[in-house]
Amino acid sequence: MQTLDVISVNLWDILISLGNLLLLYWLAKRFLFKPVQRVLARRQEELDAQYANAAQAEAEARENRALWESKLSGATDEANAILQNAVDTARNREARILADAQNRAEGIVSAARAEAELEMQNAADGVRRSIVEVSGALTEKMLGREINTEDHARLIDSFLQDMGERND
Amino acid sequence: MGNKSRLFRAVDVLLIVMMILPIAAAITLKVLTTPPGEGITITGARILLTIPMPVQDLLITESQVNSWLVMISIFALFLFMTHGLKVKADTKRQLAVEWIVQKVEGLVRENMGDYFHGFAPFIAAILALSAFSSLLSLFGLYPPTSDLNVTAGWAILVFLIITYYKCKCGPVYYLKGFLEPVAFLAPINFISEFATPVSMAFRHYGNVLSGTVVSTLIAAALAGLTRIVLGWLPGFLGDIPFLRLGLPAILSIYFDIFSGCLQAFIFAMLSMMFISGAFPMEDYFARQAKKKAKQK
Repeated sequence: MQTLDVISVNLWDILISLGNLLLLYWLAKRFLFKPVQRVLARRQEELDAQYANAAQAEAEARENRALWESKLSGATDEANAILQNAVDTARNREARILADAQNRAEGIVSAARAEAELEMQNAADGVRRSIVEVSGALTEKMLGREINTEDHARLIDSFLQDMGERND
Repeated sequence: MGNKSRLFRAVDVLLIVMMILPIAAAITLKVLTTPPGEGITITGARILLTIPMPVQDLLITESQVNSWLVMISIFALFLFMTHGLKVKADTKRQLAVEWIVQKVEGLVRENMGDYFHGFAPFIAAILALSAFSSLLSLFGLYPPTSDLNVTAGWAILVFLIITYYKCKCGPVYYLKGFLEPVAFLAPINFISEFATPVSMAFRHYGNVLSGTVVSTLIAAALAGLTRIVLGWLPGFLGDIPFLRLGLPAILSIYFDIFSGCLQAFIFAMLSMMFISGAFPMEDYFARQAKKKAKQK
């Protein structure tokens, strides 16, 4: 079998090898670099999109937070107002109830006092009458005769009056 | 990993077969065309076919065939690596191919500047073709890079690109370049211009060939040494070159793997340096700006 010399120059072989390198360049460009670069570019795009999304979401979150914070502080105020209102109402009612109770107690006490006075009056009257009767009977016995009951009663009364005046 | 379709796997297998088959074919071809009992000789590539052409006959040699087979393998490798790329990378294969592409792009950007970033596939092609061609010798095949015609073709292509970029400012500017820095240096400048492709071609070819030569010589020497030292062994044992164990393997790591990859890298680096160095970027942009101003 024939072989080339160790150092040999063949124009066509050189051209073929030149063409081989060009062909492989095209293959590398078309089948290695292009797909990989496309994938890398798409990944970059997705990454950018995600960053944009994240930024947007963060802005929205910040906005929401501000909104909620303002709402929250409003709610505190409202709660305070409600509480204050409740406290005021309770205080009013307390005062009213207390006053009511006071009134009623006073009423009860005065009624009781009036009744007691009335009773005392009655009792005093009773006692006076009894005394009149008793002293009448006593005097009748002592005198042994009937005295005019009317005069007698008047006498006793005046006596008791004197007694009462002296006692007063 | 388990959710890949059967078709995807089938294509994967097909691509792997497409990667391996050319190498197997090259080995078969080598075995079939090697004449029996050939002693140790150092020759160029075997001529498989001669086609009459003007000027010179077109010789289809081992180096041409091996180049093509390597290119088929590399093409299959490209397809395999980029098969099933996803925006969300989830396979080692994709990570590897992205790493390779970005590394080559980074290398080109670093050495040539942003203007030349389109050269990344070209540099990748040089690296792949040169390295894998040299690595063919691992299979006992004839590495196409030890054929001067192959590396000369690449060097001439690089030279054409260099000259194209030198001529970007017009032929007058290009010719004036030969008169720098002094007019009488023109012949030397002219020679050095053509020395570039020649030196690139010979550097690559010579390095790979010398590796083959040294390996062959050492293998032959070790066979001879075995015959002297262990020739007394009875029967066929005496014919086995025992001393070839070891040393040629270590040399192969250097000459076949290290040197092959290194030469590919050197060729690519030199191409990048020469091409980017050839482009008078500032003058070119100044010229373009002037042209634009004139048009207005």
